Amino acid sequence: MEAIKRKKRKEKIVEIIFLICASVAVLSVLAITFFVFYNGLAPFVTNSYPLWNFLSGVEWRPDSNLYGIFYMIVGSVFATFGAILIGVPIAILTAVFISEMASSRIGKAIRFAVELLAGIPSVLYGIFGLGIIVPYVLKISPFAQGESLLATIFVLAIMILPTVVSIAETSIAAVPKEYREGSYALGASKVQTIFRVVLPAGRSGIMTGVILGIGRAIGETMAVMLVCGNPIAGIPTSIFSQIRPLTTNIALEMGYASGVHQQLLYSTGVILFIFIMIINFTVNKLVKQKVGS
Amino acid sequence: MSRKIKDNIVKSIIYLATAITLSVLLFILGFIFVKGIGLVNWDFLTRDYNEKVFYAFTQSEEIPMSIDTDTLSKNTPYDDRYETLTEGPIYIENIGAAVSKISYKNYTSEKEQFVISYIEKGSPLLNAKDSTGATINIKTDFILESINGESFENLTLDEVVSIISSQSGDLKIKVVQPGGGIKSNIITTLYMVLISLLVALPIGIFGAIYLTEYAKPGRIVNIIRFAAETLAGIPSIVFGLFGMAFFVVALNLQISLISGSLTVAIILLPVIIRSTEEALKTVPMAFREGSLALGATKLQTIFKVVLPCAVPGIATAVLLSIGRVVGESAALLLTAGTVSQIPGTLFSPGSTLTVQAYYIAKEEGNIELACAIGIVIIVIVIVLNILSRITSDKLDVFNKK
Repeated sequence: MEAIKRKKRKEKIVEIIFLICASVAVLSVLAITFFVFYNGLAPFVTNSYPLWNFLSGVEWRPDSNLYGIFYMIVGSVFATFGAILIGVPIAILTAVFISEMASSRIGKAIRFAVELLAGIPSVLYGIFGLGIIVPYVLKISPFAQGESLLATIFVLAIMILPTVVSIAETSIAAVPKEYREGSYALGASKVQTIFRVVLPAGRSGIMTGVILGIGRAIGETMAVMLVCGNPIAGIPTSIFSQIRPLTTNIALEMGYASGVHQQLLYSTGVILFIFIMIINFTVNKLVKQKVGS
Repeated sequence: MSRKIKDNIVKSIIYLATAITLSVLLFILGFIFVKGIGLVNWDFLTRDYNEKVFYAFTQSEEIPMSIDTDTLSKNTPYDDRYETLTEGPIYIENIGAAVSKISYKNYTSEKEQFVISYIEKGSPLLNAKDSTGATINIKTDFILESINGESFENLTLDEVVSIISSQSGDLKIKVVQPGGGIKSNIITTLYMVLISLLVALPIGIFGAIYLTEYAKPGRIVNIIRFAAETLAGIPSIVFGLFGMAFFVVALNLQISLISGSLTVAIILLPVIIRSTEEALKTVPMAFREGSLALGATKLQTIFKVVLPCAVPGIATAVLLSIGRVVGESAALLLTAGTVSQIPGTLFSPGSTLTVQAYYIAKEEGNIELACAIGIVIIVIVIVLNILSRITSDKLDVFNKK
């Protein structure tokens, strides 16, 4: 009896250890949220910097105590929007090719290429942007530098390709064969079937891919930092203007900032975090919807 | 317009899009290889990034040369793409080594220097000590800058040889260990991979076991799953902010190897949990039932039956994780720093390959060197990609038939 009891207790203890390990993910999310918000909200709670000036300001000059991030939010949103505009159609059409048109061997090869593209670290995209895209933009730009919104858009459009391709491809492949067969039986061509039947049926999966792509674009730091120019002021007025997205503001100055300056970098993180949370919730909703339908 | 023409137009647009995706990949890889390949060589991989200056203390000793001059001139411990031999080599007996004058030119600098091109057996240079008494491992590519206070700047090789030959007794030689390599970054990356896996792997695997083997569907599982998904969606710069606030400041671990590794360990958690969970799910229920029917406890079943079957899946998780650590940069920039050195302890900073590539591209504007590091990174990524393909193919054995 005693031995069985001891065994049972041991089993229970191990189960609790497993549970604790599983909860580390939850604890991490809570800790991340707490630490970023705690540091980021401090300047507004203690009134060391007014929240409105922070949110609406268009200048970031730590030396003259000006910390406005409105122009960064605009930069982040423009860059993400542009990247989606260019990257998503290419990505969806590539996904269509892989799952609907390519032979299984070619499809496999392209899938491998897409995975490889996903595996390239973001710094290398940045170096590529700095070495190829920035000089090219400089050639057509009216300004004296190539680092610009346009260069950022190109780099981000490339970077979201693998995310959108792989998720769109999975959801296109998940569309039941009968849908296609039914469409062919009604006399539709392959292209008509793809665009009128398969893509609408895979809509929610494709949307998930697009939103994850948005998340990747808005959270991208290192690649963007090398090609965006990081000006200290000014809402971008043309695609050749330099921008300073939220992410690069943090990465550029965190190393040496202190006091209110440092806290306001955390505040920048809070804004970024809120964007990401909205995106996460949307993805979660979409995935649930798909399961429900 | 007939349907056929319309269809063909649309089809060609699809082909074009696929071609763009593929050519972007090839273009990026091509760019990095073409720009960087000229700099990748053995010295690049084995040298430190920063030059190191030593004052070497030793005793002069007459050592005759044991090889003939032909063999001596064939010793060229320099890279002929950046360094051109201008004079020498000339063998100097009282230090038992040969010296050449070399003009060195790279992206940022151009200079003339005197390089040791051959060291004879028993040379006094081999047992040279620095001011603390530690042995300096002088090798054939070290640069000589002065001897007993007499600088070699702007001298010809003959003048240098006569200065060195005229010295006797105690020698104090200023030598420079050449830099420009990435050895320290490679080693920092390895440390980072090891430590973060050591932390994240057990937590992730046990967590996945809980989710698949113990938890009943319901609130707790949903919360844990949602947390893991949220973690996967958080951008790495936010992890960096957290690591900075928590590990660096609150736990006072400083910007260091350990802060970086722990931050990366959190980034790895969702990757490991997800792949392990998938692997555990492929193990057929009958295996577990058979084991339990034989009288094994749940724990025994998990460790002796289920986990061994899931090894390929866990291996995939490890490979994916290594890829993540190698590619990680924004979080490490804030938590492990940009110092290119081998971290002596867990609490000293060090930059990984990707952080170093960023630093060189951004702060020094040296795209060639950044691309050379990029080649090393891409080779690692491709190898990991192929290996993980092999391991994940092995996983499906139960369902294949």
